[in-house]
Amino acid sequence: MFGPHAAYIIPSYIVTVLVIGGLVIWSVMTHRARLAELAKLEKQGVQRRARNSENG
Amino acid sequence: MSETAIRPASLWDFANPTRFLAIAGPLIPILGAITAALFAAGLWMSFNAPEDYQQGHTVLIMFIHVPAAWLAMFCYSVMAVSAIGSLVWRHPLADVSIRAALPIGAAFTLLALVTGSLWGKPMWGPWWVWDARLTSVLVLFIVYLGLMALIRAIEDPVIAARSLAIVTLVGSINIPIIKFSVDWWNTLHQPASVSRFERPAMDAAFLYPLLVMALAYTLLFLTLHLMNMRNEIYRRRIRTLRMQAARQAEGA
Repeated sequence: MFGPHAAYIIPSYIVTVLVIGGLVIWSVMTHRARLAELAKLEKQGVQRRARNSENG
Repeated sequence: MSETAIRPASLWDFANPTRFLAIAGPLIPILGAITAALFAAGLWMSFNAPEDYQQGHTVLIMFIHVPAAWLAMFCYSVMAVSAIGSLVWRHPLADVSIRAALPIGAAFTLLALVTGSLWGKPMWGPWWVWDARLTSVLVLFIVYLGLMALIRAIEDPVIAARSLAIVTLVGSINIPIIKFSVDWWNTLHQPASVSRFERPAMDAAFLYPLLVMALAYTLLFLTLHLMNMRNEIYRRRIRTLRMQAARQAEGA
């Protein structure tokens, strides 16, 4: 399908899919893990005292 | 303040992480859907583009290599602007923005290097040459990795934010070097074909798929950046809560 250069074209697309897919999955998994951790801490009764404290 | 309560705000109000979360939450799935649609259209156009008379089918690599290279530089430019925001205005989200962009920029730079090597081998002969364009992009990748190591090495968040912003700004000198390397030095890499003042030196059959793919990559970056900024804000909240829990445990 890609002629004599298939050995270069196909790996290029595979690497791109793996890296971009990896980035998306990592971001989604991190989001879920952070939400679960926040819910766990709030369940333990830990409350944020100051709005600004999240910046540091 | 509720994360869902949105009132008319000045630009400065967006510095509030809670407000950012309220805006980013509904925006991320919309951006994600548009990105997916653009990738579908861009890939369809790419695989239906004709063979290049010189490069044959390897022109297909261009549609993923060139946007990755553009985004590697764009991402660093976003970080440099955020670094100014962090140093000059102490914008609460500026440091969050730099940290969130770091892994995305490193990934796009890695993609540009790997797909460039896979494109260069059949076109030039070698997998790698130490010319100005390739070397300066490799330096960019090393800078990304160095910045990622830097933030892990400094425990204090204020010192880490300041150090990250300063080193990011110092590293931004590499961006114009990458951009103009093909004009300033004799390189094996071809000069700019699209981003130049004159008419693009590329046939429309290749230009349009490339532009759609570039737009898809850009929206992908924006989506991932918002997602990572949200994750970074949550990381800071978790850190604050853990510190409070530790203080409460000490006081009990």
